Amino acid sequence: MRTKTVELVASPRAPHFVGDGFRVHNFIPSGFRLDMQRMSPFIMLDYNSTYKFPPSDKPKGVGVHPHKGFETVTIAYKGKVAHHDSSGGGGIIGEGDVQWMTAANGVLHKEYHEEEWSKKGGDFQMVQLWVNLRARDKKGDPKYQAIKYEDINRYKLQDDAGIVEVIAGEYNGTKGAASTFTPVHMFNAKLNKGGKADFQFPATYNTVLLVLEGNIIVNGKEETPTDHLALMANDGETFEIEATDDAVVLVLSGEPINEPIAAQGPFVMNTREELIEAFNDFNTGKFGYLED
Amino acid sequence: MQSSHLKAYLTSNLDIEEKEISSIIGSCTIKKIRKDEFLLRKNEYCKHTFFVENGLLRQYSIDEKGKEHTISFAPENWFVTDRESAYFNQPSAYYIQALEDSEVVAIDENFIHQLSEKIPDFAGFNNKLLHNHIRHLQKRINLLLSASAKERYLQFIDMYPDILLRVPQTMVASYLGITPESLSRVRKELAHKHFKK
Repeated sequence: MRTKTVELVASPRAPHFVGDGFRVHNFIPSGFRLDMQRMSPFIMLDYNSTYKFPPSDKPKGVGVHPHKGFETVTIAYKGKVAHHDSSGGGGIIGEGDVQWMTAANGVLHKEYHEEEWSKKGGDFQMVQLWVNLRARDKKGDPKYQAIKYEDINRYKLQDDAGIVEVIAGEYNGTKGAASTFTPVHMFNAKLNKGGKADFQFPATYNTVLLVLEGNIIVNGKEETPTDHLALMANDGETFEIEATDDAVVLVLSGEPINEPIAAQGPFVMNTREELIEAFNDFNTGKFGYLED
Repeated sequence: MQSSHLKAYLTSNLDIEEKEISSIIGSCTIKKIRKDEFLLRKNEYCKHTFFVENGLLRQYSIDEKGKEHTISFAPENWFVTDRESAYFNQPSAYYIQALEDSEVVAIDENFIHQLSEKIPDFAGFNNKLLHNHIRHLQKRINLLLSASAKERYLQFIDMYPDILLRVPQTMVASYLGITPESLSRVRKELAHKHFKK
């Protein structure tokens, strides 16, 4: 087994608002070594670092918009989000919950701060990820996996080092609650100060670590502070993280999908022609209709 | 910054070396503007034609009641200007504003002169562009006078396939000369007809 080394540690870029409800630092896709092809299957990662929203009677959020060709994964660390879609589906993503939405051949939805939460306001911290799908899976029907916090399996680390919550994939025999189309591992490593955890993924898997709370050291030398992202190189299989204070780390590792990517706005397809078709379908109502 | 879209556009339409076009474009100003910033405001004099390298611009007027009327959207590879101001030296009646962070090439008369000198065929090409623009304006007048909201909308999505996802519906309605409610109704009817799930 070779060590998987740190390729780079990215600082959070200047935040921007998605709608008026999500204040995010975009990590993927961004120019330097964090582009869609390099990071596949993780083609987008927006991180809403902890941000205090004042109370608002009118819930803030993002209005009606489509998605096609991939999956969106929303991990709520702090705050609550309500969502609705054009086929009548909807739900609430509460603290600790994960919503895994397979947009596949197309959904139209909107997402807002949950009404009661919005009235009180408070700290809001979320990750939204886009996981790409293979060409054949892009054609499938949309579906949701609403994963409640209490249904997420956890692995207890030795020596009171902390726990690893397994959202998808597998960690030391503990399986994730989410089903995926291609191999994806997604964990929340919650480490106590001084706690260590080892991870092992195939060298070819694209792997990143996002530090949500605290500070960590990777492989005994690379410091990765709060709100930073470590991109792991494809040079080995194993690595270790150590928390220098109580830390929460989102660990993502997935098998790359080696297909061409044609992406624009909320559509991620394989070819330019499919993209044009997606815009046409949206414009002519084939995604359905949803009131703002 | 490389004005790569404008270069590609001109080299694919004109018989000119890339090196030569680079030096002519090099004499133009390239502006980076943030979302919501203006390239032109009412009563100012418009000195340029803007070519959009990336981002999105909108040209519009505001009437006495404060209502906005969108003349055009200009996404990547589009030109936008106020011809009355730029070519007839009148104070502008329009605003040109960025709807997204944008990069534009500010083209002036000198640019047109240089191209005309270097390329014998340029006047013919420029005429064709003007005729095409006038054709588009005539169609737009006719649609505004005679077409239903649905026809106007279908024409709009044909011309601007990705704008609906980039701008608020109220702006699209103000381009179509219909109310936002009419636009909603049209889109709802289309969805009702085409949504298969």
